Amino acid sequence: MFDIKLADKRISIINLYSYSEELCRNYILGVNESELIPTDMTVKISDYDIEYERRKSEQEDLKEGIPVRHFDDDYLESLAVYRKIAEKMPEYDTVLFHGSCISVDGMGFLFTAKSGTGKSTHTRLWKELLGDRAVMVNDDKPLIKIIRQDLERKYDAIAYGTPWAGKHELSYNISVPLKAVCILERSRDNSISRISKVEAYPMLMQQVYRPSDTVTMKKTLDLIDMMDVKLYRLCCNMDISAAELSYRIMSMD
Amino acid sequence: MKLKKAFIPHETGDGSLLIPAGGAGFSGLVKGNKTLGAILELLKEETTEDAVISAMKNRFDAPADVIERDVKKALAELRKIGALDE
Repeated sequence: MFDIKLADKRISIINLYSYSEELCRNYILGVNESELIPTDMTVKISDYDIEYERRKSEQEDLKEGIPVRHFDDDYLESLAVYRKIAEKMPEYDTVLFHGSCISVDGMGFLFTAKSGTGKSTHTRLWKELLGDRAVMVNDDKPLIKIIRQDLERKYDAIAYGTPWAGKHELSYNISVPLKAVCILERSRDNSISRISKVEAYPMLMQQVYRPSDTVTMKKTLDLIDMMDVKLYRLCCNMDISAAELSYRIMSMD
Repeated sequence: MKLKKAFIPHETGDGSLLIPAGGAGFSGLVKGNKTLGAILELLKEETTEDAVISAMKNRFDAPADVIERDVKKALAELRKIGALDE
């Protein structure tokens, strides 16, 4: 068992394998710190949860028409841990979002798209373009918290790094205000435009984690509705000029 | 028939989406116009295909055969993704 802090919430994890603890190493609370304050959430993993992840992974591979991949139990347990956290997080106005989130000069930019489109490639180009000014918040599955600004009926979004960051494990335990979300599409030539929430909605709904509980799912939809960030559609190739264009427009607006 | 609880209708401003919760067995989403939104609204309560067609005819000015065709098509799509309890 170990405790972590994720998106400002204290989470106790009762695990079966050591890999989950190793994965979460940069988010673990010290013993004193975790004993003093009650946790917000407890995640307990059973063999059933691991089997569920195995079946889910197999179903997804079959659906995509690729050979079924076989994963070890300890890796599947780490997926189960994050699934359980994501199921509960909307209760704390926080959602798991599939995308690559990078921070530049303290502001977050989230790129999202269907798998294989090149989200990580594009944020890598931002790193190449901006050097140390750019810090990867999370390359695959950041958490996004929606915070109401009481005086104006306006909501800010904060992006958080998490240990679940994709195959290259590119993530930092940091949080940044989210300035923009950009939907990526592959194209020969580069172009970018601002889009409305209505235009972005189908993709946002595809990329947010959908809880199995219907009440929590409705809360997730409300949180996406409230998310007050600039939205863009970027058609891009894999050349550095794509990052030059997207950074110039998204940082300026 | 009735819309399953795990399938959640959501208005987006220019149309309607039907979004399944995580365990619904269908991982996509259904995008439609306001007609789909009206059909989904009717399906929140137990109803029949005839009752949906009749309610839609009362609500919209389109020719009756067009409404009937659109409702049947929408219901067939919803059945296909397992969104209806029947």
